[in-house]
Amino acid sequence: MVCFCSQLNRPGQRHWSIIFSTASRERLKKKKMPFISKIKRQTDYNLFPSSTPIVIDNGASYFRIGWAGETEPRVIFRNIVQRPRHKTTGETVSIVGDHDPALLKYFDCTRSGPRSAFDNDVVYQFEIMEYILDFAFDRLGANGSGIDHPVLITECVCNPVHSRSKMAELLFETYGVPSVAFGVDTAFSYKYNQQHGICGQDGLAICPGFSTTHVIPFVGGEPVYRGSCRTNIGGYHVTDYLKQLLSLKYPHHMARLTWEKVEDLKMEHCYIAPDYFSEARLFQKGTKEAEDKTRCWQLPWVPPPTEEPPSEEEIARKAAIKERQGQRLREMAEAKRSSRINELENELHGLGFLLRQLEQVEANDIPSFLSATGYVSKQEIESSLAKVTQSLRKAKGEPKSEQAEVEEKTEASMNEKYPLIHIPDNMLTSEQVLNPKEPKLKKKKKKCIIIAIVIKLLLAMVSIQLKEKRRQIFLKTTTEGRQRAKQKRVEEGLERERKNQEDEERRLENPELYAEQMRAKYKELSERIDQRKRLKTNGSHTNGNNTSGGVGRGERLNAAQRERMRLLTTAAFDRGKGEDTFGAKDEDWQLYKLMSRDNDDDDEGAEADEAELARVSSRLQEIDPKFVPKQELVPPQSAAEAPRLRPLTKEDFQIVLGVERFRCPEILYHPNLVGIDQVGLDEMTGVSIRRLPSKDEDLEQRLTSSIFMTGGCCLFPGMSQRLEAGIRMIRPCGAPINVVRALDPVLDAWRGASLYAAKLQFTEQTFTRMDYYEKGEDWLRRYQLRYTL
Amino acid sequence: MEAEVIEAELVLPTYLSFKRVQMYEKYPKGQSRGRHWKHLKQILQAENYRNYPPDEPNYVNIESPPSMHPCKRLCDMTGYEAPYYDPRTNLRYANAEVFKLVRSLPSEYVQRYLALRNAAVVLK
Repeated sequence: MVCFCSQLNRPGQRHWSIIFSTASRERLKKKKMPFISKIKRQTDYNLFPSSTPIVIDNGASYFRIGWAGETEPRVIFRNIVQRPRHKTTGETVSIVGDHDPALLKYFDCTRSGPRSAFDNDVVYQFEIMEYILDFAFDRLGANGSGIDHPVLITECVCNPVHSRSKMAELLFETYGVPSVAFGVDTAFSYKYNQQHGICGQDGLAICPGFSTTHVIPFVGGEPVYRGSCRTNIGGYHVTDYLKQLLSLKYPHHMARLTWEKVEDLKMEHCYIAPDYFSEARLFQKGTKEAEDKTRCWQLPWVPPPTEEPPSEEEIARKAAIKERQGQRLREMAEAKRSSRINELENELHGLGFLLRQLEQVEANDIPSFLSATGYVSKQEIESSLAKVTQSLRKAKGEPKSEQAEVEEKTEASMNEKYPLIHIPDNMLTSEQVLNPKEPKLKKKKKKCIIIAIVIKLLLAMVSIQLKEKRRQIFLKTTTEGRQRAKQKRVEEGLERERKNQEDEERRLENPELYAEQMRAKYKELSERIDQRKRLKTNGSHTNGNNTSGGVGRGERLNAAQRERMRLLTTAAFDRGKGEDTFGAKDEDWQLYKLMSRDNDDDDEGAEADEAELARVSSRLQEIDPKFVPKQELVPPQSAAEAPRLRPLTKEDFQIVLGVERFRCPEILYHPNLVGIDQVGLDEMTGVSIRRLPSKDEDLEQRLTSSIFMTGGCCLFPGMSQRLEAGIRMIRPCGAPINVVRALDPVLDAWRGASLYAAKLQFTEQTFTRMDYYEKGEDWLRRYQLRYTL
Repeated sequence: MEAEVIEAELVLPTYLSFKRVQMYEKYPKGQSRGRHWKHLKQILQAENYRNYPPDEPNYVNIESPPSMHPCKRLCDMTGYEAPYYDPRTNLRYANAEVFKLVRSLPSEYVQRYLALRNAAVVLK
């Protein structure tokens, strides 16, 4: 396999560079000449006398212009025009030919695609033709007023007179050309090669071009158009086919597959297989040969920065840092804890001191004494003391058993705290409300003074007592509830532990059986889940297109939806005729509850099942090394989606050309593959020979013994062998068949035309403006060049 | 215009000395241009080839006939030989794995594959 990348350097120039190649014995064949655009302005226009004709090869792919008598055209460019808008100035400009895309960024090219003046191979858009001729003459160096040279321009075979006359008009009127001649490019190419001895005087010229393919028989050096044949397939269709195939295969690289790029790929890598099906079978079987023939294009891709496995020192260093940080944190925590302990101890001491002081003070002075310290009663001090001791103990980190004791103590104290609960309502007194824990302190109050007040207070505060009692009940129940929940959790934990232990024992005593059971359970669970899922998505009637869920044409509802429908319709139509009394009774609304319950049931069951499945699969993974959890059956979607589920790798950015390499040029031989219902190259020769006006065995033999190939598309490797094999199939046995290729299929047409125009008798073949206007359209229709001068 | 654009002479100049009639005179701004060009079909119709002798070669005469050979059946996706076709989508496929792919294609891709073969359903 050979991999490569390409770069676009200057306008029209492309070069390939190979990044790496595996150990493959396939040596790169001699590279074809890439098409080069030459658009440098020529400076020697004025050096040519007025009699020197200008030769133009007006092809659907490239436009070539130059002087007669030379071997190379001076200016070559792609025959397209773009009319983008300049981004800053906003004016619409015309750009002819293909240019460096870097410069095009100043223009807004979204609305203007490249346009060609051709439709098939006939010029029909003369405005664009005018832009192209403008550009061509400008680059040839034309200045002064008018083009004062005769022009020889090529056209297609049997050009409709409308196109021909418009072209002549354009040349005469707008450019001031004195005389014009039209010729067929294939014929020029044939004559050129005939002079070089490649082909004989009688022969068949086959020209697979850009948008059409022609076969023209030559008898006595002149083309016989009656025997010619044209199929509307050419290099454009091959490139288009390749582009679409690659876009369909790699949809996420579609942006990279521009038409120019694909054309380059085609020129570099496509070939014609001698027999399509046997070649395809090679690839289908995946033989070594097929491997060698596969080319792979690696798109530029930056792998995500991989972290190198850290070396020993790295690990050690990081560990040390972590250790140090941990140490620091621990120290800080230690310091905080000790400071807190100190604080608490201080507080404890303070409280203890206060209590002792309190004992010494007289009962009467307690409120005033306490007000200074901020506590209201002795009980409060005692409770805060208890809290502080507890937190101190916690801070010191004493074992839990003590904590349990403490909890019990707090429980006991709680019971003390809620004495009111146990006292029935009517026995509550105001005193207990106000000072719930201190009946002792009420001593020598002067009863006679305050009885009245007390009675009043009693009456007013019964409600408050009730409220207080209710609050205490509530608090107690909530704390009790919390404790109960905690206990349940503990119990559950114990239960689970027990179960795990049992499992372990079972496993240890009989590992095989255990594994088997587990696997069976796993299978059963996964089946159930799958089934439920299938029910939900209506089976696999969708074309992989999982946008269903809603009701589409022809998709059946799943069970739940069906049920809902049934309920709704029966409810709607069950009532009396003409009147809808749904909702009059309360039971009607139960309908919706039914419907939602149907749906919910499924979900709950599904969740439980899935949780169970997860547990079982994890268990299986632990004990059975060979177990691989079954992947979720994601319906196999197009290759575009699958890569997104895992991190992108280098392979995702490779475009592989395997079968496409010979599948695309195959359409030249079988236009049926792209839907064009016409004959292919090999059959065309038969058609052409059949169409010849005279039936002459000898002539036919002479024709087939000199089959001449020209045109850009004949540069595919393997073309000659295939053509020969194809023609042999349709000719009688033993007929001489000899397929030759032009010296330079691309430029020979221009060269032939140039040679032709340089001859002295060329001027007889041209027609002037006067001729054109006098003789009229009919004469123009019958105008044909004579190629043998 | 930016300097490099001018230097590269990307843009076609509007005035050329050798032209008798400039573009802006021929096609004044504002008028709809290009819509009055006849397409090939219209050109051929206007040619009236019926009025001329039939054995004279003209553009329509020399078109090739349909092929006599039986058409090759290629798998739409892989390019191998495809003896089968899927009745639901009308795509040709080579073997069972390709069939799985064919059945899993979204309909947009199906139409595009068919359009390659000119067999897509075009609703007009």
